Amino acid sequence: MSTEANQGQPNAHPSTKSEMEGPVLRPHIFDGIQEYDQRLPNWWLWTLYIAIIWTFISWIWEFQLSRPLNMATTDHQRVDTEVAAVKKQQADNMLKILNTLDDSRFWAMSQDKELIARGQMTFDTICAACHAKDMSATMPGGVKLPGLPLNDKEWQYGAKPMDIFKVVSKGSPDASKGMIAWEPQFGGVKVAEVVAYILSTHQRGDGDIAQ
Amino acid sequence: MSATKKTIEFDDRTVRQFIIATLLWGVVGMLAGVLIAFQLYRWQLNGKEFGGGEGLEWLTFGRLRPLHTNAAIFAFVGNMMFAGIYYSTQRLCKVRMASDLLSQIHFWGWQAIIVCAAISLPLGLTRGKEYAELIWPINVLVALIWVVFGLNFFLTLKRRNEPSLYVALWFYIATIITVAMLYIVNHLSIPTSWTHSYPIFGGVQDALVQWWYGHNAVAFFLTTPILGIMYYFMPKAAERPVYSYRLSIVHFWSLVFIYIWAGPHHLLNTALPYWLQMLGMLFSLMLWAPSWGGMLNGLLTLRGAWGKLRTDPVIKFFAAGVTFYGMATFEGPLLAIRAVNSLSHYSDWTIGHVHSGTLGWNGFMAAGMIYWLVPRLWKTELAKPAWANMHFWLGLVGILIYVAAMWVSGIMQGLMLNQVADDGGLKYQFLDTLKAIRPLMLFRAIGGTLYLFGFGMMVVNVWLSVRKKQTVNGTIEIIHDPDKVAKPGFWGAIFAEPVLFPVFAILGYCLWFLLPGIYAWFGLLLGVDMSWRTVWLFLHHKNRWVDWYERLLENWAPFSILVLFAAAAGGMVQIIPTVMMNRAKNVEDRLQTCYTPLELAGRDLYISEGCYNCHSQMIRTLAPDVLRYGDYSRLGESIYDYPFQWGSKRTGPDLAREAGRRNNTWHYQHLMDPRALSAESNMPSYHWLETKKTDMESLPQRIAVQQKLGVPFPAMSRDEILQNALEQSVGIAQDLKTNGIYVDADRQIVAVIAYLQKLGKFEELNPPEPIPGTIIPITSQP
Repeated sequence: MSTEANQGQPNAHPSTKSEMEGPVLRPHIFDGIQEYDQRLPNWWLWTLYIAIIWTFISWIWEFQLSRPLNMATTDHQRVDTEVAAVKKQQADNMLKILNTLDDSRFWAMSQDKELIARGQMTFDTICAACHAKDMSATMPGGVKLPGLPLNDKEWQYGAKPMDIFKVVSKGSPDASKGMIAWEPQFGGVKVAEVVAYILSTHQRGDGDIAQ
Repeated sequence: MSATKKTIEFDDRTVRQFIIATLLWGVVGMLAGVLIAFQLYRWQLNGKEFGGGEGLEWLTFGRLRPLHTNAAIFAFVGNMMFAGIYYSTQRLCKVRMASDLLSQIHFWGWQAIIVCAAISLPLGLTRGKEYAELIWPINVLVALIWVVFGLNFFLTLKRRNEPSLYVALWFYIATIITVAMLYIVNHLSIPTSWTHSYPIFGGVQDALVQWWYGHNAVAFFLTTPILGIMYYFMPKAAERPVYSYRLSIVHFWSLVFIYIWAGPHHLLNTALPYWLQMLGMLFSLMLWAPSWGGMLNGLLTLRGAWGKLRTDPVIKFFAAGVTFYGMATFEGPLLAIRAVNSLSHYSDWTIGHVHSGTLGWNGFMAAGMIYWLVPRLWKTELAKPAWANMHFWLGLVGILIYVAAMWVSGIMQGLMLNQVADDGGLKYQFLDTLKAIRPLMLFRAIGGTLYLFGFGMMVVNVWLSVRKKQTVNGTIEIIHDPDKVAKPGFWGAIFAEPVLFPVFAILGYCLWFLLPGIYAWFGLLLGVDMSWRTVWLFLHHKNRWVDWYERLLENWAPFSILVLFAAAAGGMVQIIPTVMMNRAKNVEDRLQTCYTPLELAGRDLYISEGCYNCHSQMIRTLAPDVLRYGDYSRLGESIYDYPFQWGSKRTGPDLAREAGRRNNTWHYQHLMDPRALSAESNMPSYHWLETKKTDMESLPQRIAVQQKLGVPFPAMSRDEILQNALEQSVGIAQDLKTNGIYVDADRQIVAVIAYLQKLGKFEELNPPEPIPGTIIPITSQP
């Protein structure tokens, strides 16, 4: 590669052999800068070659073979399958929990210190956004938060623990406003913990929440 | 005519001016960076803590982050690049810059642009596209000044007294041509006023154009000019020959050709069509070797000069800078792999990656160059050589802390967001992950502070060195022999086998990428055939090839044309089909619902406040994204978004399906005091949205421009638009009132809430039907 206009100079036409023997200094000097003309390192060349070959193989595989022949899973199909699997697992899990849960089990859970501590953590970071940490659903200063108060005796969607559990899991019955369903994000166990925590701030037999 | 001898004095005054500007803007840009890094850790630093009430709007993250990036890229690296280019080009061409007037217009024009940017961005005047935020009058100025620079540079090449072009000049040529192309296309807009415009591309088209630009701003503004500077200053400082000329050739052409294609790797796993994602990923992988070619040529040039590493701060900075270049260009292809990207994207890992490039590669190369130039331009010695060493170590430790913190933060947050709970659902809420990375945000700010401190030492050191010193301009004595100046043919340099074979090979491969079904094989066949001819020519007629290249190097014009072709190919293949085939085919099964006037006003406020710097609007085709934010985003769902707001970083959660999730009261309170609802959120309070009035008067003009762009706003008179906006805002204000919140309907917060309550609204399209008024689709890859 080092052949050029300056014929007759040393190294003007190096044979491959002499190239191998030592670095060839190009004769031309730019503002005092000289250039060797060394062979490219093999590992570098192969990094380039392999990447190029890989591109060819993947493109042919992706767009000439697997897709036209319907052997490929598209991103949409993949994510749909994955999400469906998660949803099914959650539903199964929920069913299992629902099968063992009942109102008195919830009241028992509300005495479990460790369990309600976990519930409180979730409540304080997520639920408090709308219901306030003290469950009053009002900010200091009296501004009303979006949620319903949970520290009173009024339960709009049913006062039994299982009713509360249902609202938190599935969201408010009126989809256009009110709370969203939390089960998809929390999973059934976390929802149960939160409900247990809410119950722990009430007394069984305390007014409306008596059952 | 006979040979004449004459002495040429170089224009080094301009170089000195650019160096001073580099130092000044470097401090400003990095100071902004350090401030916003600390704000991520402690949002109150937006002015709340120094007497700014609940925070000052022009000091908040969303407005200052664009200021930081623009200052670092265009002000700091820009001025540094110009200094290096002006100094080396004159010497490599053995001629003074073509026009002192053009040089001065370039210098002062560029500084004027920076000042305009520094004023307009904190005011919230923005186009809402990353690194392309400046408003349209400044865009025009940038384009003009760039043309002045290019004219000055190419005239200098034309008048040169050195027959052949040295490799540094190749990189400068690539920079000037490609930046002009990228900048102009990505800034095409239709103004609605003197300070506001809408880009002519929307939705996926805008996303593609934006990241074609954004990625290649890194390539051709932060990489190629600095490689040119490396090729000039590194052998000078090391006093060693460049390692390999043929490596220069191979890595230059492969870099210029391949870089352009890699833009879509910023949009992996999004709604971007799959074939574009694959192109972005595969070309990023192919880019690894060409990038490392530059690193090798830099580092191996130091062979035989490693001893200087201990004593010479210039060599220290260069060696470390090139090493960081190698590290960042290894990390880049890695992050461009779709599987890795599903973890890293939207996280701090990307931020760490770009900073190992800018702080390590750009910042250190700038320092090395400045320490080398200052004694030569002011005829002096460095006042405090020990400080230069201290600068190096402070900078190095600063970068390492910064980058390590971002690796840990990015990987940890990515893993936490994907973490599966026992029941298959998500284990962590977004806020949990934010809490976990909070300490790392502090580490990053500390790393950045160390780096800035080191940089400050250089500024003081330079000042101590040059004050009261005499400036000196370089001179050179040349023998001018008009008879000897050979002028090889223009066409001969272009219509040669070494050009034609690769050009047809590339053409074949482009057809392969684009043509549907069986036709693609013909493209592949053409490509392979021409590739084989290229290789055959190289193996059997190497001298023909070599002679042609030597001839090309003596022809700046054909050389530049070939660079333009190499750099333009990738963008044309990716962008033209996407723009042409357009919406009709690209909506998938959903079509975005058009905004109401009030929602559009809210959207423009969202953009103006820079919300996109922390919030994405793109749910990727990944299970954790879908479980957390809702159904994955379809192309049609952002089709009327001018500009698109897919985002690039999630410091906060995604907002693509925010509509209806929470009620108006929640949004009001969250905007006024985010921590009242999300404990430990680091979002600043946007209380000024409650006091400032929405600019309704400009809505008719804005809607008219959007209609021109093809957004199907119903035909409304000026009064109807204003009436419509008023009615919707009164509705929201009344809803807020029922919850005890009293806010006037004309306030900005009402418009922003209206917009947030619209995010993710769509109409089902089944089966997809062409939308009236759009271009007929051309057939393309899947």
